[in-house]
Amino acid sequence: MKKIFAILMISALCSCKKDLLDTSPYSSVSSTTMWTTDNLTDLGVAGVYNALRLKMGHSGLVSPYELYQMDRFSFTGQGRWDEPLLTGTITAGDPLFLNIWQMMYEGIQRANDGIKNIPQKSPSSTEKKARYIAECKFLRAYFYFRLNQVYKGVPIYLEPFTATEAVKPRNTEEEVWDQVLADLSDCINEPQLPERYATGDGNYGHVTKAAAYALRGKIYLYKTDWALAAADFQKVKDAGHTLFADYKALFKEANEQSSEMIFSIQNRSEFGYGNNFQLFCGWPSAYTRGWNYYMPSPHLVDLYENRDGSKFSWDAVIPGYTKLSVNEREVFFLRDNLTESEKAAAALRGAKMELYLPQGNEERIKAAYDNRDPRLQANIVTPYATFRGAYNFTNVESIQHMRWPFRAQAPIDGDIQSDTQINFFYFYRKFVAEGVTELVDRNFGPIDFPILRYADVLLMWAEALNEQGLLSEAVEKVNEVRARAGVALLNSNTATTVTGQEDLRERIRNERRVEFPNEGINYFDELRWATWKEKVFQVGNGRKQIWGANVSDYSYKGDHLYTWPIPSNEIQMNPNLKQNPGWID
Amino acid sequence: MYKNFIETSFGTIPYCFRHILLKMKLTALLVVLAMLQVHASSFAQKITLKAKNATLKEIVAKIRQQADYDFLYNNRVAQELQPITVDMRNKDIREVLDACFANQSLDYNIRGKTILLQRKVSVISQQEELLTGIVVDERDKPLAGVTIKNKSSGETITTDDEGHFQCKINLHTGVILIQFLGYESQEINLNGKHTLQVSMKPLINDLNEVVVVGYGTQKKENVIGSVATINASSIENRSTSTLSSSLAGLAAGVNVQASTGKPGADGSNILVRGTGTLNGTSPLVVIDGIVGSMDAVNPNDVEAISVLKDAASAAIYGSLGSNGVILITTKKGTKGKTSVSYTGMTSLLRPNNVPEFVTDYTRHMRLVNEGFMNLGQAAIYTDATIDKWETAAKDPNGLTEHGIPNYVAYPNTNWGKELFGERKLLQNHNLALNGGTENTQYLFSVGYFDNPGTMPLTSADNIRLRVNLQAKVAKFLTVGTQTFGDIQNTSVVDVATAYSYLTQTVPGVYPSYRGVYGFPAAAEESATANNALAFLNSQGGKNQVNRINSTIFAKLDLVKGLTFETKVHYDNSYTENNTHPIPYEKWNFATNQLSTAAQTPAQMTTRYSLYKSYNVIIDNVLRYNNTLGKHDFGAILGYNEQYYNQYNFDAAKLGLIHPDLTTLNSGTTMTGINGDETDYGLRSVFGRLNYAFNQRYLGEVVIRYDGSSRFGAARRWGLFPAFSAGWRISEERFMSSIKSFIDDLRIRASWGRTGNNASGNYDHLPTYGTVPYSFNNQAVRGLAQTKLGNDLLHWETTTTTNLGISGITWKGKLNFEVDFYRGYTDGILFVPNIPATTGTAAAATMNIAEVSKKGVELSLGYQGKANDFQYSISGNFAYNTNRVEKYKGRLQEGFITDAMGNRVYQSNIGQVSNGSNTRILEGHAINEFYLYNIYQGTGDHFLADGSVNINGGPHDGMIRTPEDMEWLKQMVAAGYSFQPADGIDPTKIWYGDLIYADLNGDGIYGNVYDQQFMNKRATPAYNFGLSVNMAYKGFDFSMIWSAATGMSYYWNTIYLNQSIVAQGKSVPLLVADNHYYYNETNPNDPANNIQGHYPRLKGVTDAQNGRTSNFYFYDASFVKLRNLQIGYTIPSNFANRFSISKLRVYLAGENLLTFTKFPGLDPEVGPDSNYPTMRQYSLGINLTF
Repeated sequence: MKKIFAILMISALCSCKKDLLDTSPYSSVSSTTMWTTDNLTDLGVAGVYNALRLKMGHSGLVSPYELYQMDRFSFTGQGRWDEPLLTGTITAGDPLFLNIWQMMYEGIQRANDGIKNIPQKSPSSTEKKARYIAECKFLRAYFYFRLNQVYKGVPIYLEPFTATEAVKPRNTEEEVWDQVLADLSDCINEPQLPERYATGDGNYGHVTKAAAYALRGKIYLYKTDWALAAADFQKVKDAGHTLFADYKALFKEANEQSSEMIFSIQNRSEFGYGNNFQLFCGWPSAYTRGWNYYMPSPHLVDLYENRDGSKFSWDAVIPGYTKLSVNEREVFFLRDNLTESEKAAAALRGAKMELYLPQGNEERIKAAYDNRDPRLQANIVTPYATFRGAYNFTNVESIQHMRWPFRAQAPIDGDIQSDTQINFFYFYRKFVAEGVTELVDRNFGPIDFPILRYADVLLMWAEALNEQGLLSEAVEKVNEVRARAGVALLNSNTATTVTGQEDLRERIRNERRVEFPNEGINYFDELRWATWKEKVFQVGNGRKQIWGANVSDYSYKGDHLYTWPIPSNEIQMNPNLKQNPGWID
Repeated sequence: MYKNFIETSFGTIPYCFRHILLKMKLTALLVVLAMLQVHASSFAQKITLKAKNATLKEIVAKIRQQADYDFLYNNRVAQELQPITVDMRNKDIREVLDACFANQSLDYNIRGKTILLQRKVSVISQQEELLTGIVVDERDKPLAGVTIKNKSSGETITTDDEGHFQCKINLHTGVILIQFLGYESQEINLNGKHTLQVSMKPLINDLNEVVVVGYGTQKKENVIGSVATINASSIENRSTSTLSSSLAGLAAGVNVQASTGKPGADGSNILVRGTGTLNGTSPLVVIDGIVGSMDAVNPNDVEAISVLKDAASAAIYGSLGSNGVILITTKKGTKGKTSVSYTGMTSLLRPNNVPEFVTDYTRHMRLVNEGFMNLGQAAIYTDATIDKWETAAKDPNGLTEHGIPNYVAYPNTNWGKELFGERKLLQNHNLALNGGTENTQYLFSVGYFDNPGTMPLTSADNIRLRVNLQAKVAKFLTVGTQTFGDIQNTSVVDVATAYSYLTQTVPGVYPSYRGVYGFPAAAEESATANNALAFLNSQGGKNQVNRINSTIFAKLDLVKGLTFETKVHYDNSYTENNTHPIPYEKWNFATNQLSTAAQTPAQMTTRYSLYKSYNVIIDNVLRYNNTLGKHDFGAILGYNEQYYNQYNFDAAKLGLIHPDLTTLNSGTTMTGINGDETDYGLRSVFGRLNYAFNQRYLGEVVIRYDGSSRFGAARRWGLFPAFSAGWRISEERFMSSIKSFIDDLRIRASWGRTGNNASGNYDHLPTYGTVPYSFNNQAVRGLAQTKLGNDLLHWETTTTTNLGISGITWKGKLNFEVDFYRGYTDGILFVPNIPATTGTAAAATMNIAEVSKKGVELSLGYQGKANDFQYSISGNFAYNTNRVEKYKGRLQEGFITDAMGNRVYQSNIGQVSNGSNTRILEGHAINEFYLYNIYQGTGDHFLADGSVNINGGPHDGMIRTPEDMEWLKQMVAAGYSFQPADGIDPTKIWYGDLIYADLNGDGIYGNVYDQQFMNKRATPAYNFGLSVNMAYKGFDFSMIWSAATGMSYYWNTIYLNQSIVAQGKSVPLLVADNHYYYNETNPNDPANNIQGHYPRLKGVTDAQNGRTSNFYFYDASFVKLRNLQIGYTIPSNFANRFSISKLRVYLAGENLLTFTKFPGLDPEVGPDSNYPTMRQYSLGINLTF
């Protein structure tokens, strides 16, 4: 009986466990302890960088808001799906506007947190703290830059803020630029921030002074302060950034820390840490199979000059090409030895079959892609080119051919299989893994994504020089890029002779268009140059097959599209925000 | 040998264990057999008795050594008995007794396990003698407290705890009246009997019923809170896999809704008295006094269920009782009686309904083409391809050039039939052993449930065990346990994805031919059109939950009326999951080519995950009950604490050495390791005082004080009081005139507070969660604020007032109960939407809102009998409504003049409300629908002067005719705009498109300010339940109906009821059969359907018709026949010959009929289903020995 009483007593006593109600989370850190150790300071800053990765999609989470994916709105790229922005049905409630807004402000919140709390709480060395604050300021500047690029004038918050404090009205576009410049200037003036990190440096991937100069120069372009821009670009060069010799190899993992890279989103082969190019730009017969959501536009392909710098012309390759209707042109892209039913189907689609050469059709079209700016082949898979993919969803490497119409994959000499079999589109080669060893999983590719690279700086620099009337200096910058690419230099022959500022302006723009496909640059360039309507909504444009036939048409909704709307959700939650003109909530 | 055996088995434990699990089914069967044997031998028991001049006492003792009989006799009988001499070997008890009492004036009478001995009636005496007896209920269980009245003297006595009584009475002329509340009174003429066994028959009314309430039981007559009871008979013999789903329609104010039909996940959501808060609405479930999970309980183990609906009855569970409390009492062992009962059933399963798609591929292709051509785009499928299918259809069994039948090479697959066409059987077996001795009682049960599901490879099975044991170890101490556990295996198949593949495929994919899966056969078809069968078969692994729940209790009788009970509870749930692919290839049967190669081992990923949770609960209660004259009072004082902890771990590796070797060690590249842990604690003290005067005036006070770890130290404690009072008006003298008609009439009133701590476990703390980043290719876990905190977080409190009246009339034939209630919840814990400007961190949980709810509940029952025909019918009705009283302020919208002098429309809807197409806003029901409205015009188009009539557009908002189009163009020309497509051409707004009303009058039709509150919600306002039971001789019949109305669904799902078509996606029959189509080039095209209900087809996207509008808004009311049973019980005299005490066979149906206007699937589940609910046709048996 005593035993039983003892048990009862124990039962009653153990009920007095003191800390039963004082629980705390197991995998997160409370705000009171955050930033209070050197390690937490490191991790907090890494958390700010992580904002660059927000909304990075993978196969379970398609999320079309990444920078490179914006190329689907550009002149040089296109998407697999109809885009409301391009088909003229977009409204201010579109998730595109809300998601980018939210991601950028999240980055700002995190940067503000670091900028405020590192000085107050962190026990790290003064040097490190100074460097980290400068990095946070760069990142904050970058996020405000991304906002101001499209929304043009957004509320500025420089301290962490709560939901109830999110009631500020918009600042003007000019005020936001001033804020961005102020933050970047602080970075540049911070002695603890290195000019740049050497390849393999443990801190590689952190912000550098060169990055701050490059971004500040870009802001000056937006502000058309050409001289200031050029001065900053000079500083990037002074920091030791150069072009990498091999354009194609630049976009491979081995060269992701080459001296051309100024600032890039860091990727590695692990879930949550990598890029998703293979998934969204790859196609089913590429290794680990992709979905070809994002593809180059035929305009881009046509823009690549011949190797001698002369403009590419279809008629020069195939006389009479442009006189045919777009549907008739399909005939040139057909594979040799079509079966009768393939021929009948092509004829039914409108291909002008009397021009079909059963034995020489492939040879004829291949000529159009030969002797072009080498960047064409580096960036794009063109008809009858080959690609090292994987056979039939396995990990058996196979050389595949871009042929039309698609018949079948094969271990040897098979066709490239797309997710859009009834249409014939160009594919990106840039950033798509070749063979079966560059990648572990399509959801986490290892290659860093460049946000700022030296070729961008050189061409922005050329732009800044040209706008100041410094044509020969500008040509010099452009030629650095062209020389690396392997295309004839400007002023090297008749075709490449620069005829004046206007001509050079267009040449620089085209140089940017052909240099940066799939890097999230062209759409914003066209907006900045106010050429987006003229380029993207040129008469008859749309989502195009290789020969120019529209799969669906684009439709221009109005000039208000140049400025993104304040997301209608935000206007409803903060009536102090005023909508941009032309947008209907 | 023995030793050797032990060693061997130790050496192979893992194998043995696996083996044992595999053989579980067999084991269950063996247990049945073993028990049958045990039982049979106990009946066949023979008695050997040798005695010389023995007393009755000695004889009794000897018999009891050999057989389990109780003897009941009067001591005087024993004294009068002659010494007994007997010598019997291996004889039946009757023969032995005959021999013993051969020449004695003694009769015996065997009833069950009791042997009554009484004097042979011979001499008529005038004396009062001692009468001994026992009173039992209809199940032979002793009844305590039964009143025995001597009719001549008027003296009364009551039976003791074992149901025994003794009194002095004239055994020859005496008449006794036996009365017990809830039982039919009996008058017995003694006619010289010394001993009596009286079986009481229950009155048809249920006043005597003991109702389980929080921390105790109450007689129904004394219940003054609002408590609904459900007895075991309504949930036994059901083929529903979970207890929760079997409760539908059984109690007023208890709304039960299934959420999916997926085996293993098909527990229902229970809503007690509707919704009164913005967060979790699941009621607290208490199993034998311990908080738990309802679906862990085997429905066959349930003795009774009480639902505590009002605050006064739930307040004893204070902090957690806001959504009502469901008390489940399991069956306990019974003294002196061993019974073995088996119930088993098997059911044929059919899906309740399955979405229907176009299965003729040529039609499918033409419809898809129509959608693209409607947008001015090229057709997807060529005529050549369509021709191929048409030709093949004429000769389905003909062979292609590759020797494959046409019906395989050019398929027209009905995927709904492929996935749900198989007829499968569900099995449910339960075995219970129930018995005990004077001091120890036990219940042992084992159940096996196997639900194969209606979709291939989605089965779930379940083995459940229970031991309820209690032992009186000392006069003042009882100890015992309720221990139960289960092992549940569910399919690893990703059912939601497999189900979604119904819409993500086309009829042009053949499921499987000669063991090879089909690939889209048409050249134009999307290569990603799925083969759901291949998907289902491609997922290997296992998913198993092991749960063990154990409560150990000790009950101490301290002094009279004062008891102390302590319980220690531990439960543990352990979920193991392994998934790995099973490689397969897909074949294009039209071209006879391999289209998708099988995955190589190097591409395969294997993943293991473990998820473990446990609960430790300590519960100490001191109880006191006493009666002083007309004053009854009771009190309890208790302490309870709970600690819950859960952690999980998973790891995945890519690249296996062989497809069959799927352990982590066979993988090569680590692709992910994750793990986390979470916990919470709860500590409470509580007390209750109840008092009754003369069984007429009843009162009760409850106080509970709770602390939760989910709140910061400063705000963690909450006090929850409740008061209630009842008046049994029927006991008043002034009611005596109608007492013959009204058996019982009670008025009940209560007021009380309950709480809710339904926030996240650490929501009071702002936290930084880990996020991935890397520098120089080295991974780091960055930290970023992922949840905003709120250190002011505290208890959400619901104050409920309840007023009820209950009564029983017509001698118990009719009973009714009406309750009115009003609840007000304030400080509602809620995570409001916050501006995206604040970033991606989860918003802080806040005590932000106030909600009121009110309702009426009515239950009515009638029971009667006519000769052998017995019947009862009971119905219940509940009405419930809620209103958000306070949230973030009033909605203000209207035109203002801005700084530039422009008239602009402004609304603060985003600031003051939460949600999108359902919203939370002050003055409206919770999550009231907020939708665009379809334009509705007169159809006159133009005014007399030829100008456009803004109210003259199409009647139903669809542009159908050239006049409609002309009107639309004139409207646009006049400056009106039509959102969202905002333009007139085939890619924007065209024939067969919907336009939206301009509700705010700003000239823009269908912009965000044109949404409006619809005064409708998705939860039912009215619930009905109806049960009918009938019995005639051995036959019984029962059915349960339930109905819900006053709710609506917004159902607008791509490829199910939208007019969107795409490659690789199915076309729903609803839309295919009834959509707008007009061939402009051929007005006589037979396919023209300008009266079609659904908008014109469009390829891939449709901004214009996709608006969240009332076009897709449906009344979701339904009536369901939940259960129907027809049973037959074999007559007992026949059954007894086989030593069977009860044998019943029955036919039953579950979910047999649904009446609804909702065009989607089962309206009970809601608009979006990922697995249809089941309909079952069962055959079952109940067998008791």
